[in-house]
Amino acid sequence: MDDAKKYLSDRLLSEEVPVTYRLLSRVLNIRVNAAKQKLYEFHQSQNASKADSIHATYLIYGSKTEHRQPETGDTDMDKSAPEHEPLSDYAPTKTVTIVAEENLKDALAEYEEVTSFHIYSLAPFPQRDLALLSDVSKSLSDYRKIEDSAKTLDTYGIIANPQARKKDRKGRPFVPAPSASAPKSVKQEPQPTLPKPSQPEKVKHEAKEAPSAESTPSSSAGKKPPATLKRGASGGIMQSFAKAAAKPSKPKPKPEPKAKEEDTSMALSDDGEAEDEDLPASKSVDLEALKRTRKQREEELMRMMEDADDEVKEEAKKEDEQSDEEMEEASEAEPEPEPEPEPEQQPKEDKEPTEVISTSGDGRRRGKRRVMKKKRILDDQGYMVTIQEAAWESFSEDEAPPPAATKSTPASTPASSTQKSKKAAAGKSGSQGSIMSFFSKK
Amino acid sequence: MVKLEDVSSLLQAPTVSQKVPVRADSAYKPLHSFALDKQRSYKQQYGDMYFLRLAKIKPAVEEVASKAWEGTEIGGELAKRVDRVLDVRQGELCWVAGTVYMDMKLKPNILEDVSKDQWLSAPMSSQKYYSDDGSDQIMLEDDSGRVRLVGDLLNSIPLVTGCIVAVMGTENTNGEFEVIDLKVPDLAPQPERWAVSKTPSASGKSKSEDTDMTDSPSLTGGKKIAIVSGLSFSGTDASYDLELNLLLEYLLGEALDPDEQTNISQISRLIIAGDSISTTANKENDDEDDESKKRSQKKYGYDASAYNPLPSQLFDEFVSELLPSIPVTLLPGAQDPANASYPQQPIHTAMFPLSRAYASDPGAASTSQPGWLDTVTNPWEAEVEGWRILGTGGQNVDDVFKYVESDDRLGMMEAMCRWRCCAPTAPDTLWSYPFQEDDPFVLKSCPHVYFVGCQPEFATKVIHGPEDQAVRLIAVPSFSKTKEFVLMDTETLEVTKIKIASR
Repeated sequence: MDDAKKYLSDRLLSEEVPVTYRLLSRVLNIRVNAAKQKLYEFHQSQNASKADSIHATYLIYGSKTEHRQPETGDTDMDKSAPEHEPLSDYAPTKTVTIVAEENLKDALAEYEEVTSFHIYSLAPFPQRDLALLSDVSKSLSDYRKIEDSAKTLDTYGIIANPQARKKDRKGRPFVPAPSASAPKSVKQEPQPTLPKPSQPEKVKHEAKEAPSAESTPSSSAGKKPPATLKRGASGGIMQSFAKAAAKPSKPKPKPEPKAKEEDTSMALSDDGEAEDEDLPASKSVDLEALKRTRKQREEELMRMMEDADDEVKEEAKKEDEQSDEEMEEASEAEPEPEPEPEPEQQPKEDKEPTEVISTSGDGRRRGKRRVMKKKRILDDQGYMVTIQEAAWESFSEDEAPPPAATKSTPASTPASSTQKSKKAAAGKSGSQGSIMSFFSKK
Repeated sequence: MVKLEDVSSLLQAPTVSQKVPVRADSAYKPLHSFALDKQRSYKQQYGDMYFLRLAKIKPAVEEVASKAWEGTEIGGELAKRVDRVLDVRQGELCWVAGTVYMDMKLKPNILEDVSKDQWLSAPMSSQKYYSDDGSDQIMLEDDSGRVRLVGDLLNSIPLVTGCIVAVMGTENTNGEFEVIDLKVPDLAPQPERWAVSKTPSASGKSKSEDTDMTDSPSLTGGKKIAIVSGLSFSGTDASYDLELNLLLEYLLGEALDPDEQTNISQISRLIIAGDSISTTANKENDDEDDESKKRSQKKYGYDASAYNPLPSQLFDEFVSELLPSIPVTLLPGAQDPANASYPQQPIHTAMFPLSRAYASDPGAASTSQPGWLDTVTNPWEAEVEGWRILGTGGQNVDDVFKYVESDDRLGMMEAMCRWRCCAPTAPDTLWSYPFQEDDPFVLKSCPHVYFVGCQPEFATKVIHGPEDQAVRLIAVPSFSKTKEFVLMDTETLEVTKIKIASR
């Protein structure tokens, strides 16, 4: 009791900030109903000694007098005369009203029956703007402890639910902080312990790569993505794509995701994303090199696009790329958005020889591929003629991958640069990063 | 009219050492009727959807029609059944079933776009496709052909593209079909309560009846489900933060008196029916940006730096605070971070770093029990407390609304039930996945409860079908606009509206 009095007089009389019953219950670790009681007692005693020194807001709950309802059409039963049938059946309405002391009488007058009535908050001044109270409840989050939520419920007298269950996070500690740092800590943990679908792949590539690569900065699995990222960039990502186009495709990092595999990948998907979010800050990459690479790639793309008849798409692509550039400059410490609600572990369809990948800011890979298209034209006699011709078709990641994609052995890889950038791509698809993470500033 | 003196006794609460009430458990079995394959392809044509729908609903509507029109004689002529729209002969009294197609000036028309070689969808300019100058045409089509429907009757019956009806009449000299009567398939067969999920043990049941008796009579006793929509957590608009807080306190049983808290503990589940996050652009932020940056950003549409994570963060905090106490079902809505086309797939739990601890393991979704936080599809079908419940985030009704003159949302919901199709305007004007094997929007069975989120105002009613089906329709208002949400009793299916006000 003394605690409550002390806290309330501190907070209300000295600091002059409002206190809600919830805050009081959190501070004193008492049940909300007890907190309401304490507020009431404090309000009584203070105003007894000095009138109008403390102002209360009240919470009223009950049914209002029906005809006062503005939505009479909804609730009035009298209107159910046959000639004017109401659109909606009658449904009783309960109203929760939060009201400042000054308006209490008016507010109560609107009620037909009040089933619950208590003090919501106290403040040292008349509360005109009740919205201020929502600021008070923001400070409540400091008192939240997620781990022992069940105990918390009991402490504060919140309706408990013995059935509540969390999913098994495989020993991963839960991270309560909602800030941007949360995904990071979530992500670091599972990497070594959990079989990540892409992980073995990366390691394998790494092993193959080791002799030929000029310098592998780090072979630790955790640090992998930044490393590949950097080298992929300096090696000229576009160049490699061009090579890929000329040469039959590489081994896919992952076969068609089967049901089972999808399970694991799905379970881990959020981690993958978090990892990407983490990327930009974790490693510094030569910006200039990146810019050069992009230029190069743009030119490459332009050349490839030359014969494509679709002007509009080309335009869009250019924009995409420029926006990449833009993004890089614009977004510094901004955490990337989760690119996609359901990131899919897509096999690398971009290894199709006739494809060209561009990218876009939303984290999906997009590009164009050469397909045979049926084209229908009206000839000069007015007949419809169908001809087949090769055309570029844009595609994006979540389209079903084309079935072909032969698996050739990587043993005969001629250029290490190809191999390298390939690996970069592999690492990327494994962690579902957007290609954007290549170009964001470190 | 309540006076202060009457209630001041309530202020001196009784002893506070009362036991904390325990939340009623929730019998819950989601049906994955609208789940799409993760590896789905988008290459197929939409036409199959109409074919499938017609194939599935036509027998039902023909049964209704033949029952009604068998032996009908008008002017000495017997109404004949015609199989295909194309078989309708001029001057012959006949009846035929088919798909309605609305030809409306203001409605976006895919054929027009294709013929003009326009591949970008034009910005939606009008609120309604309906125009009252009589230029709208109603057609009936099937795989054989199409005939224009005319007649006064059509003015009184709202129709939209994609619903399946049977019409009786004759073809006039203009080649139009004069409609004398029109039949819809009407409500589908309704499953029994507890058809899919297990009935809780008899003891559990009698217990709930016990609480019926002992609980305060102000609420009708039994278990309840709370349905809310349009929470619209926003990074910029804090004008209804207080109401959101009160909603939270209400559902957690922190607000109100111990007696009421006991009632609230009977709310066994919260369903969030769409639009939990407001994506309204942040105007102020734009101004802060320097000029050049702003210009370039506009040019390229999306910029990661313009992404505001605050709304989903706030929503996450909100839900994660509720979850220890109450299970939550989350439907996506038009504003939410899910796919835009119907059926919307569940919002990925990666959006909710706090709440996702309560979500189900994504891999084991179909086999194990549903998540405590169940992110589901929109539309969504489930058996809750034994009742078959169909719910949507509101896009289907909003789209039907554009076709018809009236504002009667409940009427549209009723019509959908009677058409046996919960999204008739997909894929014409409601974006939809191009279904190939099955049209899941066809209602194979009639739900007991059909709620639609994000509506302008609360409304509810019960409709009845020819086979004693009864459907409780609930239009759930947008919380951010109305500060209202809905409680539904799971025994009586009675609905209570809860309004949160501040003054």
